[in-house]
Amino acid sequence: MAERVTESEFTLESASLLAAADEPSAIRGRSPWYLAWRRLRRNYVAFFFLGLFIVIVVACMLAPVYAKHVAHTGPNTNHILENVRVNGKETPVVSPGGIIKGKLVASIPIGPTWFGAGGKFVLGADQNGRDVAVRLLYGGRTSLFVGIISSLICVFFAVILALLAAYYGGWGDFVITRFFDLMFAFPVILLGIALGSALAINGFHHFGINIESGSIWIPTLIISYVLVPYVGRPLRGQVLSLREKEFVEASIAQGASPFRVMFVELLPNIASSILVFFTLIIANNIILEAALSFLGAGVQPPTASWGTQIADGQQLIVTRPWLSLAPGLAIILTVLALNVFGDGLRDALDPRAKVKVSH
Amino acid sequence: MNRRHRLKWLLTAASFSVGVALIAAACGGGGGSKTTTTSSGSTTTSSSAAGKSFALFRIAMDTGTDYLDPGLSYTVEGWGVMWNVYLPLLGYKHVNGPDGATIVPYLAESLPTVSSDGKTYTLTLRKGVKYSDGTPVKASDFKATIERDYKVDSPGVGFFGNIVGAAEFGKTKQGSISGITADDATGKITITLTAPQGDFMNILATEFAAPLPASTPAKDQSTTPAPSTGPYIIQSYTPNKEITLVRNPHFDASLLGGNVPVGNPDKVVWDIIGDDNVALQRTISGQDDWMSYHPIPPDRLSQVQQKYPDQIKLFTPANTYYFFMNTRVAPFNNLKVRQAVNYAIDRQALVRVYGGLAQTTEQVLPPTYPQYRKINPYPYNLAKAKALIAASGDKGMAVTVWNHDRGLDPRATAYLTDVLNSIGLKATQKIVNAAVYWTTIGNQATKAQIGFADWFQDYPHPLDWFDVLLNGERITQTHNNNYANFNDASVNTQIDSLKKEPVLTPAVNSRWALVDKEVMAQAPWAPFLNRQFTDFFYSSVDLSCYVNHVLYEFDYSTICMK
Repeated sequence: MAERVTESEFTLESASLLAAADEPSAIRGRSPWYLAWRRLRRNYVAFFFLGLFIVIVVACMLAPVYAKHVAHTGPNTNHILENVRVNGKETPVVSPGGIIKGKLVASIPIGPTWFGAGGKFVLGADQNGRDVAVRLLYGGRTSLFVGIISSLICVFFAVILALLAAYYGGWGDFVITRFFDLMFAFPVILLGIALGSALAINGFHHFGINIESGSIWIPTLIISYVLVPYVGRPLRGQVLSLREKEFVEASIAQGASPFRVMFVELLPNIASSILVFFTLIIANNIILEAALSFLGAGVQPPTASWGTQIADGQQLIVTRPWLSLAPGLAIILTVLALNVFGDGLRDALDPRAKVKVSH
Repeated sequence: MNRRHRLKWLLTAASFSVGVALIAAACGGGGGSKTTTTSSGSTTTSSSAAGKSFALFRIAMDTGTDYLDPGLSYTVEGWGVMWNVYLPLLGYKHVNGPDGATIVPYLAESLPTVSSDGKTYTLTLRKGVKYSDGTPVKASDFKATIERDYKVDSPGVGFFGNIVGAAEFGKTKQGSISGITADDATGKITITLTAPQGDFMNILATEFAAPLPASTPAKDQSTTPAPSTGPYIIQSYTPNKEITLVRNPHFDASLLGGNVPVGNPDKVVWDIIGDDNVALQRTISGQDDWMSYHPIPPDRLSQVQQKYPDQIKLFTPANTYYFFMNTRVAPFNNLKVRQAVNYAIDRQALVRVYGGLAQTTEQVLPPTYPQYRKINPYPYNLAKAKALIAASGDKGMAVTVWNHDRGLDPRATAYLTDVLNSIGLKATQKIVNAAVYWTTIGNQATKAQIGFADWFQDYPHPLDWFDVLLNGERITQTHNNNYANFNDASVNTQIDSLKKEPVLTPAVNSRWALVDKEVMAQAPWAPFLNRQFTDFFYSSVDLSCYVNHVLYEFDYSTICMK
């Protein structure tokens, strides 16, 4: 390090010392992931919604704790003829109906007690006297499981197909893209309903895979399957573009195997898009699960999911709106959190990317 | 609600009338004569057009209509539309209450003459009756109609299988049914059966037997309606959208002995609406005048009752809701398990699951039957149920609870699943699309262990319950109605014996009550309730004219406006 030189001591010799001291140090290399992280951490909105999503996930994971220690009931336990003390007053969980005092009266479940019953029926009960809050948390576990696992499966197969199609081209590409076209020809919901209904009776027992009907894996796999082209096609486009780059040609020229080119050269270069797709498609799949379950082709009752809960509350939407509102709000918040965070992630990883999931 | 079953109810309703007619014949018939002639009866209908006609009656209809071809329709919605359009030779009185099950002659001059061996039915067509296109109705049209039923693979052909030559015709669809002869000159129709059939007049009163012109094509005529004989004709039908009925210009009520009302509305329009809430809102606002087959949504009931108390009618068709238990499949091949399920169900809870519009039951027959003797064999006793499961040796066994996905019914099996788990079984629910549910559980290959079922009478006769649903001799490999596969020799013998009884005397009724009791001792079912339903009308409808028929429910032809 050069010695400190005061202005009064300035000479040609000292100037050279000063010049040596001012020589810029070497610029430290930053990985794209680090740069993305730096961009992402400045996006407070995205971080807030990531936090919200984590809160939702943790709350749902704690469903058994809430059920056992707060609500004192399970998600499928019926309490139809029981009474509960709400703010000191005995109230039937499901009111009696029929002709009462000469008037036609319908049986209606209890509304939200807002902790007026010591944690029981905080969001009210459904027509079977089941605790809506407990079912909401258990339903969240189901919906999140279906959303996340189906996204993983979907993205996995979409990436494989995209790499194979774009790398090899020719007949392989033709077959895979026609498969995508075929899938695109069916509206996602209709295809989901058709598959869900077909597998509802006997389940899936092919190719050595045995899934019983009513299993949560049925909607999970259906959702994975129907969305593969919506991820696979844009990824194929990216791989097609990358395949023409010099680094790929260089790798091939050096004798790299196709497997190496695809998974060592190409895959890391589309990793950011995959990550963004994965995040966004979870939200999409949660909505799709809810839609299929609402229509009876997704998660099978009495298993709670946000979609089945909305369907359960449909017939009491006027007098007991929380039956549908609560799972509806849960879906909105979860999807909003994932979408905003996913957008933030996309902006951080590749601001020029136009990655989106639409069908 | 199983519409298919509701239709069967219509068919069977007829046989009650047969019973009534036969009682009348037995009381009034002279002994020793070779044939028994029943009275022809010119019945005064509950309403006529005089002074009560009005321009238009609009109906918010549900989506249950299958066909508007009398040879093909087998839903209560389809028949509900057509019973004032296509008239059979015999039909039912258009009145409220049990009297509505009385069979009266429609296109026939009188009730049939039945031979002493019970195998030959003779009818004569009324003179001067015309189709809506002006062509006269001929006796041979009846024969052609039954043959057409076979040609179009009508779901009603099973009702005609007892006619001589019908089975052969059904196989080849060539030639004609030898057991039906028709003379166009005299209008005489003779039907010969292979064996006596106590409910045959009821069969003749079904829409499947309503004469169509012999030239009617043997294919679905729903959207190109065939000429009809009733007070109304189907002017147009757009599936899932609209049905329009207008007056039949060639209908003459005086020719039918007053048994068929002229009808009050000049035009009836059925708006097909999928959603109960939308149907209710349309009816409240006056866009429609009646909610047809749509229940008032439970959470709107109090509000509607409060605001429009005079526009609601509550009625109880003969029905029983039950959980079947397949006696061929473990663990329900064990009587203790079946009894345990019966003890474990708190039927009051299930009433609330159905919104409160129901009555509990622990037996097969509904309370509206004269054969009904209330029994209470399985009062709620969870401890006893658990003890029975423990004693059965089947504790912890996996059980699949079947149900369809429509209406309030899935809630019932959600309750049942919880109950089964609470008594020591390991139950899961399997929900199947309603369109395939009944064929799925009716297929022996499915081996459905336990599940939801309901039954709406075809006609008010115990045979429609015990013979169709619980006679072990009628178990089939597919399309089986005996979901429990209940096959008890003693019960079978009693049903077969009672089947031969032409008249439902008090003594016979008591024997049926014993069958009910004996069946429930074996617990193939866990019956839980008899449901009630509502009709809701726009405020301009005058309900002093309201007729809820025992078979067809609300009679739109006799309604009035304020």
